[in-house]
Amino acid sequence: MTAPDDMPGPSPAAPAAGPPAAPVLSARDVVIRYGGVTAVNGLSMDAFAAEAVGLIGPNGAGKSSFLAALGGQARIQSGSISLAGQNVSRLPAHARARRGIARTFQLTSEFSGMTTFENLVTAGHGAAGASLASVLAHPRRSRQQDLAMARRAWEVLERFELADIANAYGRELSGGQRRLVEIMRCLMRSPTVLLLDEPMVGVAPHLVDRMVADLKAIRDDGISLIIVEHALEVVRELCDRVVVMADGASIAAGSYEQVVKDREVQAAYLG
Amino acid sequence: MLSSWTFFISTLVVYFGVDLLSGLSLNLQFGYAGVINFGYIIFQAAGAYAAAVVTLGPSGPASFQHYVFGAKLPFPLPLLLATAVGAALAGVVGLFGLRRIRRDYQAVVLLIVSLIALQLVQADVPLFNGSNGLVGIPRPLQSQLALTPQGYQWAYAAWVLALCALVYLLVRWLSKSTWGRSLRAVRDQEDAAASLGLNVTALRLQVFVIGGAIAGLSGGLLVEFIGAWSPDAWGYAETFVIFTAMFVGGVGNYRGVLLGVLLVPILFLQLPQFLPQIGYPGLTGSLEWIIVGLVWMAILLLRPQGILPERRALALPDLSREAA
Ligand SMILES: Nc1ncnc2c1ncn2[C@@H]1O[C@H](COP(=O)(O)OP(=O)(O)O)[C@@H](O)[C@H]1O
Ligand SMILES: [Mg+2]
Repeated sequence: MTAPDDMPGPSPAAPAAGPPAAPVLSARDVVIRYGGVTAVNGLSMDAFAAEAVGLIGPNGAGKSSFLAALGGQARIQSGSISLAGQNVSRLPAHARARRGIARTFQLTSEFSGMTTFENLVTAGHGAAGASLASVLAHPRRSRQQDLAMARRAWEVLERFELADIANAYGRELSGGQRRLVEIMRCLMRSPTVLLLDEPMVGVAPHLVDRMVADLKAIRDDGISLIIVEHALEVVRELCDRVVVMADGASIAAGSYEQVVKDREVQAAYLG
Repeated sequence: MLSSWTFFISTLVVYFGVDLLSGLSLNLQFGYAGVINFGYIIFQAAGAYAAAVVTLGPSGPASFQHYVFGAKLPFPLPLLLATAVGAALAGVVGLFGLRRIRRDYQAVVLLIVSLIALQLVQADVPLFNGSNGLVGIPRPLQSQLALTPQGYQWAYAAWVLALCALVYLLVRWLSKSTWGRSLRAVRDQEDAAASLGLNVTALRLQVFVIGGAIAGLSGGLLVEFIGAWSPDAWGYAETFVIFTAMFVGGVGNYRGVLLGVLLVPILFLQLPQFLPQIGYPGLTGSLEWIIVGLVWMAILLLRPQGILPERRALALPDLSREAA
């Protein structure tokens, strides 16, 4: 068994000869407690550009909590998280998002009272569109940005062949469509790190292959992916590296083939 | 006979305008941002008080009522001050009341703030003249305009409606802007909104302050019309009337709010005051509150989206594709 930070390996996108790339996202000794429960117990992990890391482990292992620590949804008791070399441990979620972290949630988080199109456009504007000052001071510019964002939203919708749900409210979508809206929303933001919490739940089987291909393309665009996923065939297909969690800690890390052979992993999964 | 009816109608128009401003404010806060402002009335009352004390003139030893910051500012400065005071109070309350706690807790905190404020004002005679409130507040420009009493009534009603139109357009424009869309994102899923870079706390505070400004303005308009300010008149229950109106008309739809404000407060609360009493004195008044509660429950059960639901914002066309 190997600690995950001992074997980050060069990023696939890095030139073969150059110096090893610095991690985009780096977590060190992260601890999260909810009252008496220790959800994450000293986990460390690096993520590199154009690389997909799978985070697997039994229910309650602390995977979602760890993603919340990275995204800023959960406060960490100790440890640190840095993004592009800067410590972001104390930054609120919106500030981390502005620095390049995007994420989806285990419970889908589409804006239910907004159309798919509005979901995307809001994501694209992000902080800039939310500024009351800019809306009041430059209404015309704000309108121009809206048109630019609309163009981008159509591009993303077309890439996922979902233009026909553009005007459907979030609450009218199927579970799988909601997952896709969340991912499309993230792509509107050009993130450097994309955190996905069980993105395949509720997605129709024939669409899973499509989504795996899409996620590979996203990764190959240079985005760093961290994916919590129960479907092991997805992990095998998509992830360059796998970290196995149990009871808040990493119990194995390496390639998919390496970790599934690990005894401890088999024990953790079989209970 | 005829003159009493025009008096009645013009008074109703002013009340309608004040309630409409309240509805616009609450719809921006709740319908768009999901902030449940059960303390709405204190921002309206604060605006009213501010407008009153800067219209009454200084509070000297000779004056029979006590208040602070007495002055005699010319029209429309008292109204501007009322707006500013509503906004400032909302800023202060929002800073404490809109912490990142669950939304229903926020609502309860705001309700409690409004109850405490009422107690405080009634207890503190030197500050707000206690539960007697303020009377004899002169009406703006009444001597300058030299109108008949009825003419003045109508002029005031027209002035209120003009301000309503202005606020209506402003609020609707803001709601449709990218800022308004961000508010709806916060309303629907605040963790997701934050994960897309939206500063949830700042957005909530902004919408709270804008709503507070509108509340202050509406209070100023009302107090200058009635000429009196009494803490008893600003009970928390008034807030629920406007909430009911918003739910009846349609949350998130400004035309719905207009309709709801026309139907609920005017029909149920104002009209009966001008009608003959039934039963013992006070019975009609108590029945009104029961009716408001029943109407709210009925609409939530039968048509939760209101008479006019929020309208779907259709996608902008893809200009690059159409050009090709
Ligand atoms: N908000 C919370 N409050 C209290 N306990 C929590 C909360 N979120 C997660 N937990 C607990 O933390 C542990 C890890 O949960 P989670 O991160 O959701 O695991 P996973 O995503 O791997 O299934 C579990 O024991 C869970 O009950
Ligand atoms: Mg989970």
